[in-house]
Amino acid sequence: MGESAFEITINGVKLVLVFLLMVQMVPVLVWLERRGSGFIQNRFGPNRVGPLGLMQLLADAVKFLTKEEFVPKAATKLLFYAAPVFALLPGTLAFSAIPMASPLKWGEHTFLIQGYEIGVGIVFILAISSLAAYTILMAGWGSGNKFSLMGALRASAQTISYELALGLSIVGIIMMYGTFNLTDMIHAQEGALQFQAFGYTVSSGFLPNWGIFYQPLAAVLFFAATFAESNRLPFDLAEGEAELVAGFHTEYGGFKMLLFFIGEYGHMMVASGLMATFFFGGYNIPWTTTEQVYQWALGLTGSADWGSALTSAVHFGMFFAKLAVFLWIFIWVRWTLPRFRYDQLMDLGWKTMLPWALANTIITALIVFVVSQTW
Amino acid sequence: MTADTFLFWLLAILTLVSGLGVVLVANPIYSALCLAMTMVGVSAIFATLGALFIAGVQMIVYAGAVMVLFVMVLMLFDLRTEIATFSRGRFSGAVKIAVVGLLAGLLAGVFAMTTALSDGIAPSADQADATKSLGALLFTKYVFGFEALGILLLVIAIGVVGLARSKGGTHAKR
Repeated sequence: MGESAFEITINGVKLVLVFLLMVQMVPVLVWLERRGSGFIQNRFGPNRVGPLGLMQLLADAVKFLTKEEFVPKAATKLLFYAAPVFALLPGTLAFSAIPMASPLKWGEHTFLIQGYEIGVGIVFILAISSLAAYTILMAGWGSGNKFSLMGALRASAQTISYELALGLSIVGIIMMYGTFNLTDMIHAQEGALQFQAFGYTVSSGFLPNWGIFYQPLAAVLFFAATFAESNRLPFDLAEGEAELVAGFHTEYGGFKMLLFFIGEYGHMMVASGLMATFFFGGYNIPWTTTEQVYQWALGLTGSADWGSALTSAVHFGMFFAKLAVFLWIFIWVRWTLPRFRYDQLMDLGWKTMLPWALANTIITALIVFVVSQTW
Repeated sequence: MTADTFLFWLLAILTLVSGLGVVLVANPIYSALCLAMTMVGVSAIFATLGALFIAGVQMIVYAGAVMVLFVMVLMLFDLRTEIATFSRGRFSGAVKIAVVGLLAGLLAGVFAMTTALSDGIAPSADQADATKSLGALLFTKYVFGFEALGILLLVIAIGVVGLARSKGGTHAKR
């Protein structure tokens, strides 16, 4: 937790802040989603409440909070109420483990700009996200409605299937960087493209040193699998409210429904953050290293403490810019692609993405081994 | 009481209570969810011991995949008859007696075979190194056992596909 009472307090506050950050991003994202869908489909979207429709979400929140509290007669009460609360957990816990900026050094203290650092960051995030399937099952079964149950089975089968491709697609990245630690991975992607091969150093000033240039296939597979994990179109068979009934949250309304919503957006944020961390250099500014940014900030502020603070702020902005790009891609894809049929979904997961991810793993292992030889 | 001891007792109690829940709760769904909770508790205990990688894998494999499948299958049963079957009757009684016997055997084993742990085992400071040495051990010293397990799992997977395609299965050839 920390060395002194001061550090422990700051670290505790940080956890709350990360959670609030995630929850507060959701209304903005919902607004962006609705306005974005309007933009893509050549219509207006919400534009009446407040400037640009920005207050619409406040109005929605009030509506959600004042709706009638409703439990179906056949529902199992405990599970019915527990499911929406559990829906918040995986996204929040996983998002806290993603580094959002370079550590802030203030006097003798060092603060990481992330909820907590875990040595095996990726394994932790995968482990936490794998628990999301329980939420869906609890909601579906607890509702006491056969449509909910069918929807839950459909959704959880999808989640489990794509977890395999998701986990395997990043094995290549782990082998390449030789670490589970997200911060170490970001450090490995600093500066311009440069790597060691057969004892020689290959470098290019043209491309940044990003993971996607080493593992393009993994990037595609990972991003596709995260769409399925967060139950977004084109993989939104979990819901499909028009023709498949609304899936596991058929019986939910009001604030309980909103909690599921926040959970879904939480998954999107975790996915976007991981995408940025694994394949796009994390919080680093392209072509520069943390040290260069620190030197620049030092020259600007003239004090080590404020220099470090400015560096962290700049990196935080960069991370959020990257996060926003991926979140926008999530929204963009949702309003562009139609839904898969269920057998297409399973075929894609098991017969296409899994073999490709396996092949990527094996080939990466071979190349990492061969290239590390010197002769 | 230090933070570590507090955490240990909290997690141990959580794990044991959910473990008891698995056998004491009549509803199979709740049993399965309790079992999942036990897995998460065990994983957390691994984490407090410094074996973070094992903790993560425990959570991914057992809590995240195996138990989800259990829960999915259980949800398709008509639970009222299941509960009735396992509450009374000769079969249920036999199972109960067998389970009590097993528990007694386990307890006897625990008391007879447990030796005091030496305090010299410190958790590895560097997790990356711990994971690396674990991987190296799996592929050098224990490579035969590891590969044999892999083949066993492959045989199971193929067997399941074979069974599903056989006459009357869900994916039977028409």
